[in-house]
Amino acid sequence: MSEEKIFEGDRAGHALREFEFGRRLGLQALGVMVASGAVATLADVSAAQAAAKSGTIKIGYVSPRTGALADFAGPDAFVLALIKKSSYFLKGIKIGGTTYHIEITEKDTQSQPNVAVQVTQELINSGVDLVLTSSAPETVIPVATTCEQYKVPCVSTVVPWEAWWGGFTGASISPQGGAAGTGPTYNSMFFYGVPHFVGCFVPMWEKIQKKVNCNTNVAEMFPNDSDGNAFRAAFAPTVGAIYPNGGYNFVDGGAYTDLTTDYSAMIQTFKTGGKNGAACDLFVNVPLPPDFQTFWTQASQQDYNPKLATVAKVMLFPTDAYALGDLSNNVATDSWFTPYSPYKSSLTGQSAYNFAAAYQTAGHGQWVQSMGSTYSLFEIAIQALKAVKNPHNRLELASALQVVNYDGMCGPINMNLKSANPFLASPAKGIGMIQPFGVQWKPGSADLVGHRKYAWSQWIVDNSLNPHIPLNGTLEPTNV
Amino acid sequence: MVWLNVLVQGVLIGGFYALFACGLSLMFGVLKVINLAHGDMAVVAGYVAVFLTPHLGLPEVWSFLIVVPIFTLAGYVLQRTLIQKSIDRDPFTTLLVTFGLSVVIENLLLEIYSANGQTVNIGDLIAKSWHPASIIYVSYVSLGVLGVAVLVLFLLQLFLSKTGTGRLIRAVADDREAAQLSGANYRHIFGVAASLAFATVALAGIAYGMMTQFAPTSGGVNLLFAFEAVVIGGIGSLWGTLVGGIALGIAQQFGAHINVQYQVLAGNVLFLAVLAIRPQGLFGRKTALA
Repeated sequence: MSEEKIFEGDRAGHALREFEFGRRLGLQALGVMVASGAVATLADVSAAQAAAKSGTIKIGYVSPRTGALADFAGPDAFVLALIKKSSYFLKGIKIGGTTYHIEITEKDTQSQPNVAVQVTQELINSGVDLVLTSSAPETVIPVATTCEQYKVPCVSTVVPWEAWWGGFTGASISPQGGAAGTGPTYNSMFFYGVPHFVGCFVPMWEKIQKKVNCNTNVAEMFPNDSDGNAFRAAFAPTVGAIYPNGGYNFVDGGAYTDLTTDYSAMIQTFKTGGKNGAACDLFVNVPLPPDFQTFWTQASQQDYNPKLATVAKVMLFPTDAYALGDLSNNVATDSWFTPYSPYKSSLTGQSAYNFAAAYQTAGHGQWVQSMGSTYSLFEIAIQALKAVKNPHNRLELASALQVVNYDGMCGPINMNLKSANPFLASPAKGIGMIQPFGVQWKPGSADLVGHRKYAWSQWIVDNSLNPHIPLNGTLEPTNV
Repeated sequence: MVWLNVLVQGVLIGGFYALFACGLSLMFGVLKVINLAHGDMAVVAGYVAVFLTPHLGLPEVWSFLIVVPIFTLAGYVLQRTLIQKSIDRDPFTTLLVTFGLSVVIENLLLEIYSANGQTVNIGDLIAKSWHPASIIYVSYVSLGVLGVAVLVLFLLQLFLSKTGTGRLIRAVADDREAAQLSGANYRHIFGVAASLAFATVALAGIAYGMMTQFAPTSGGVNLLFAFEAVVIGGIGSLWGTLVGGIALGIAQQFGAHINVQYQVLAGNVLFLAVLAIRPQGLFGRKTALA
């Protein structure tokens, strides 16, 4: 036998065919499971509707407790415990002379859209009156569209409104970035959209250009997924529309596959792809959290050091910063909740500051911004329940949700605001806009919430869109 | 210079693919078992590194000192029990068994450790690199992984050609019946080969955990790349697996250089081209397909 070739190679083709067959078998088995699940679901719906006529209001809450998006749901246990201790949830809510007890059921999507559909169907089968959901299109779109299909009221948050709107059949985004087509009947949401990312990031770019020698080449790291493709289509044109004199030159890194392990080609593009072969001093992205960690360490390995990184969808939570260590210094991102806001709970009057401090005192570690948005979902539910005559009337409840207008933990939310200001106006009925602000990760300080020093904290460095939020830090370049 | 960088980065990532494919190549070559749970077992190695080594007061960089012996033992036991039983039936059963194993592992990991991503933490080293020429930066971690891949393949090759057990493995791989007639206990030999394969899987899993985040379902993508590396290199040749992994890495980098969208596609195209033009692989032995 020859020295190099130690094994027999003759069965390769045969074995490959077997491999493919085995795979198909698995897929077919999955298909059968899905189909049988659907049949059971239809049978259960009428039973569920009968159960819904009781004196209990059932709220389902769907979030990614585990998986790639788990950080978003980190504060869920704390927030829900707090919500359950507030008077409406403790003593019940009086609607038309009847006192209804409120019951909350929580479900985990494992960060997977198919699981999100499955758990939403389980909730609907158990007769929920209302579904609340949060955290990224991968969670929110399957939940919201399933609710729409079964005519169950649903409120979503922490998803760009464009992605949410585009998830419904018959709804689309107009070339100008507005809501086109027919929107959902049973759904509503609050958060912000692509123009807000622009309105949050570009002022930071302008500040850094005044501060250091920084060109106008912008690296775009947008993956080949729903968020990435939405940003690829809308981000640069929106910047051009809102800041026509900015002169920004966008360099698209290409539609990479999620969970890629090697980004060297893209990094090379960003190092030399600007005007006249210059590096891109500004950087914007919307990746899956693990992908940013891989990309950002490889960028450091390959000596790509943008002057300012403004990232979306990642670096939202302290765990992201801890994972990157020193590489997270002065990475900027958008933020929708901070303890330093003047906002307070519409349920208990607790201030945002005390809310965050209580989270830390309760031993959950550093506060995270998704606690605010999750809290507001339940505030909105109460606002709508107070406005209806029959909480089990799904159409009435859904309609009430679409016009909620109140002040709470995330500030003023008006789900149906007509305004000339494009950042404030509801793109359609049932979409409430909150105003993000720019933050940068910097080493923590004992002067911050709860007087506890954490390794990394978000410092508010730009409030162009939301002047309610006081600045507590200065914008500095990510890399000098 | 740009193309040289493409080549360098391709070789670096290719080293990882080769390390990942090494165990698959051994299992395939000697046992004729396509281990569909290969990727998942590497992920298990990552979890063991992250969750076991800190308890032993060992930095995660050195986790291979613990994980590799565990996997070597586990490989032998698993082979002598589950895999051997299925080989005794027919090749199709081994596919079903390893596919089942893959599903069981993924779900067990999901149940025990949740779907959260994990990283084998090696501190500041992850961001460091060597800068040999103008635009070329070589990550120390990737370079280390490439070095480990070459070393592992070299040692395996040495073991197979110089030691008695190695020669027995080759004999059994070549002609099981003839080796048995000469008194070789092929079940034990299979066990030894499986434990070697598992040892390399452990290294691959730890390397993967250092380079990026892994989760219970991360095994599948890498199984595909490992499979491609084995087929491109040629089944039956360990050096072929190294060359196959590097060829795959370079193809992906060339694709990505044209457009990032073509990164994975370019690797698949190379794989298909090799299957079409040279089905036995670059270094495989040309024999009539059964």
